[in-house]
Formats: sequence, structure tokens, C-alpha cells
Amino acid sequence: MSELIMQALYSGVLQGGSYALIALGLALVFGTMKVINLAHGELVLLAAYMAYTVESRFGLSPMFAIPVALVLVCICAVLVYFLISLIRKDRELNSLILTYGVGIILTNAVLLIWSADVRSTSSAWMQDALVFGPFYSMRSEVLFFVVSMALMGGLWWWLSKSWYGRAVRAVSSNRDAAKLMGINPRTTEIVSFVVAGILAAFAGVAIFSYGVIQPAFGHALTVKAFIITVLAGIGSIPGVMVGALLLGIAEALTVTLASSALQELVGMGLFLLVLFVMPNGLFGAAGRRG
Amino acid sequence: MKMSKTGLAVIFAAYVLVPLLLGSNSYVMSLIVAAMIIGGIALAWALLGNLGGMVSFGHSAFFGVGAYVSAILTMKAGVPVLAAMLLGGAGAVAASLAMLPVLRLKGPYFALAILAYAHIFKILATEWSSVTGGSAGLASVPRFPTLMGVDLSSKTGSYLIVLSLLLVFIAAYRLIRSSHYGIALRAMHDSEDATRVVGVNSTLLKALMLFVSAFMTGVIGAFNVHYINFLEPDYAFSGLWVTLPIVAAIFGGYRTILGPLVGAVTVYLVDQLVFKNLIPSGHQLVLGALLVAMIIFSPGGLMPLLRKGSRRKHAAA
Repeated sequence: MSELIMQALYSGVLQGGSYALIALGLALVFGTMKVINLAHGELVLLAAYMAYTVESRFGLSPMFAIPVALVLVCICAVLVYFLISLIRKDRELNSLILTYGVGIILTNAVLLIWSADVRSTSSAWMQDALVFGPFYSMRSEVLFFVVSMALMGGLWWWLSKSWYGRAVRAVSSNRDAAKLMGINPRTTEIVSFVVAGILAAFAGVAIFSYGVIQPAFGHALTVKAFIITVLAGIGSIPGVMVGALLLGIAEALTVTLASSALQELVGMGLFLLVLFVMPNGLFGAAGRRG
Repeated sequence: MKMSKTGLAVIFAAYVLVPLLLGSNSYVMSLIVAAMIIGGIALAWALLGNLGGMVSFGHSAFFGVGAYVSAILTMKAGVPVLAAMLLGGAGAVAASLAMLPVLRLKGPYFALAILAYAHIFKILATEWSSVTGGSAGLASVPRFPTLMGVDLSSKTGSYLIVLSLLLVFIAAYRLIRSSHYGIALRAMHDSEDATRVVGVNSTLLKALMLFVSAFMTGVIGAFNVHYINFLEPDYAFSGLWVTLPIVAAIFGGYRTILGPLVGAVTVYLVDQLVFKNLIPSGHQLVLGALLVAMIIFSPGGLMPLLRKGSRRKHAAA
């Protein structure tokens, strides 16, 4: 029994890597623009389907889809940005409805292009078992966990050391003050969308490489990313990482101990618990309540 | 409450002329009833958005809960259909009680939290199979009874029920809007903090609006289940019950009372008759594009846009 639980913990941690990438993208955009991009999960899904196309059409490893996915997802992310910037009034609420609409467009475009069938990788290399002592996983899970850790390290470096990264943080914490310091908030917003797109592209290819995808999946990913940011409290990268790992572990434990049908429910349960007990998240600053 | 002559004429036409002229064509009647179901949810959604200032992506939860409560009460407890329909609305209100902690959250948090909630109820309906019949669903849900010689389970009878429901909803909406609560809610829309300072319990008011909206949606969900006599989780909690009403309300103008209804009829009919034929499996793509276009070009909806146009015409004349 304890072996099963240990195994679930391990799988959960690996799964948490891509969750963290998705949630960080959502949080970055929310930071600079105060806009939640409800189409974020669909962007991830788009990358996943690119991986599927590269594998099924050209017989290549899903890894080769990353450049294409990066370009496509970043273009879509910037398009979403431009649509949001066209909103004239009441941007906070209208942007939700707008990105919800973009999500519908993307989901149905995926449905039209790739049909409603469930897809997964057929690459034997990706699915091969990788055993570390008592822990078992697919090769792709470990590979993409390492990739996501590296990306998060890069993101951390970028946010704390580079000019644009600092600009993103400056705009997030005080837009007007950042403007006075000579930072163009519009550029920063675009940059945050592009970075979110990059993270989403990697997460999408990862999800295709070790899991299954279908058109309706994007919506669920957005919800998960949001749950993680609530767990974390917005504005904290380590918080998002811990939140993502928590969600991954909680889901894996539920699948092991109860049933896979309840997997989605546990995320909601965590979410409610945090809202009741610690409304500002595990690591967040105050200010979410109205 | 004042009622204009045109309003009375429209109501008369809806009750008498529509059944007389179209009642024999069951395809047209089923389209109209379906459009009115969407209209009912759109109205409830718009009430929450307009009066409560909240954007909900979770109204499918209320719709589904209302449907399940009513279906189970009639099938397992023998409650009469029409009474169960109201209890379905009450069930949706009970479901909305679970959302109360979220009300204290600001804009986007509320919208996303309610989106997450909708998923919970779908999973519950699928997993709690001893009561809900699980993913196989409930078959042969009781139909509407025959009342005073009118067979309410027929297309025309169902039309009369949903029409009456919508009229009651409209009256309730107008009543709330013109009451003290309506004034406080409008003030809250301008500045929630300022309203709280003068002693309005804003969280309580928002909760009341959520209850009203949930009740309406639940009753419509219950109506729908007795109308189609079948229920399963994927259908009851389908994202369609959120998407279509939002598009309808935004298209018609969610700050008006009639806008969502007009929007629902227009959007639903065009979607069913035109887009579904053009793109059978992904026709919602058009709805998404419409939503995006409306938010960018006319977030107040088409009704205000038309009114502005006609005012200009009057001014010119």
C-alpha cells in the first residue's frame, strides 16, 4: 500500500511540472494586464495537437513539434492580446467574456481540424518505462519534468535579472509607477503574453507526450491552472510551483486510492478548502477579496 | 407596474396567435420552445450580470441541478410535475448556497470559481449513480399533465408553460430593478466600496441576486427535463447551457430585460438553421466569433445600438 502511495506521489510530482508551466502563464498575464485569459488552456491544447500532427503526419518524435508549436501558440497569444487591447470599457469583466469566446473558437477549430477523437502518442521511445529505484514512470514524464524545471529556472532568472523580466514585475506590482520609470506597459503586456505562450507550447507538447488529448480538454486545463493560482496566491512563482505539485499529487493520490472519475473533484475540493481557510492562497499577498 | 399597449399586444399574440398559426407545425414549435429555454437562462444570466455585476460561466450547474432535482422528485417521490419544477428551482438555489464563499471574491475570481463549481456538479451527477442513474441517465422522466383540458405535454402546451415562466421572470426582474434593492444594486455597480460605506450589505445583495438567477435557471432546467423526458449528466451540465445564453445575452444587450430574450431567439434560430447546416460539428465556432466581435464593437449589445440608431433617425426627422 505504501508503495502505491509513494508511486502516486512520484507521478503527481511529475505531472505537476506541466501544470506549473500552464499556471505560470496564466499568472504572468494576470499580473501585467489584470486579465485572466480563459483561452489559456486552449493555447496549451493547440500545442498538443501540433505535436500530434507532427507525429502522425511526419512520423517524427513529438519533440520536433516544439518549434512549430512555439511559433503558432505565440502568434495566437499575441492575437488574444490584441483582441483584449481593443476592449474599450470595463476591461476586467469584458476580457473574461472575450477570452471565453476565443476559447470557444479555438476548441471548435480543433474539433473541426482534428475531430473529436481522443489522441495520444504512439512513440515507443516516449512511452518506454524509466525506473528509479522503487519509482516507475514513462520516459516522457521524466523528460518533460526536467524540461519544465529548466523552464521555470529560466523564467525565474528572466524575471529577476533581465530588463524585460523586471519590467514585467514592475508593471505587475504598480502600473503607474512603472510608467514613470520609463517602462512601456503595452510592450510589457505583449512580452508577458509571449512568455505565457512559450510556457503553454512546452506544456502542450508535454501533455501530448505522456497523456491523452481531446478538444474539450483545454477548458479543464484553464480551470486547473486557475485552481493552482488560487492555491498559490497570485504573484509568487514558488507558490505556483508548490500549488502545481500539490494539485498533481492530490490528483494522482485520488486515482490510486479512489477512482479516476474523482480526479477532477479533488482539485475543486482543494480549491474550496483554500478559499474557506486561507482566502489569499498559501503564499499570496492580501487583496483578492472585495 | 405600467404595461405598455404594445407589451400587451405582444403578450396576446404570444399566447393566442403563435399557437393558432404555428401550433400545427411541431418542428417550428420545437425550435421556438428551445429558443425560449435558452432565452430563460440568458435572462437569468443577464440579471446576475446587470444587477449583481457578476459574470458567471457556471449557469449550467443551476440548469442541471434544477433538472435532476425535479426529475428525481417526480420519479422517486411522486411529486406532481408542476410542483417539482418549482422545487427544481429551489434545488438550484440550494446549489448556489455552496457558491456563497466565492461571492466575496472580486471579478475574475468569482467568474472562474463558478466555472470550477459547474464541474463539481457534473461529476457528482455522474458518480452518485444510485440516485441520478449515473452516466446512463434517467429515462422516461414524467411528462407535463393535462390541465383544464389542455395537454401541457404537447409542443403547444409546453410552449405555453415556458412562455408563462418567461413572463413571470420578466415581471420579477422589473420588480427587483425598480425596488430599493435595484437602486442599491445600481449604486453598487458604480462603486461597491462607496455603497458599503452608506450601509448597504453588498455581499447579501449579491447573494440574493445569485439566488434569483439560480432559481430561474433551475426552473428552466426542470422545465426542459419534463419537456424532453430524458436526462444524462453530459447533457444536463453541458457547456452549451452556458455558451448559448452568454452569446444571446451579450448579443441582445445584457443590461436590458428584453435584450437577452430577443438575442436568444435570434442567435438560436440562426445557429440552428444556418450555421449547423454549414458546419455540422463545429458550428459553435461562429458563436465564439460573434461573442468576441460583440465585446469589441458593441459590448452593450445590439438593442442599445439599434436604439441609438433610431434616436438619430428621430433627431434627423
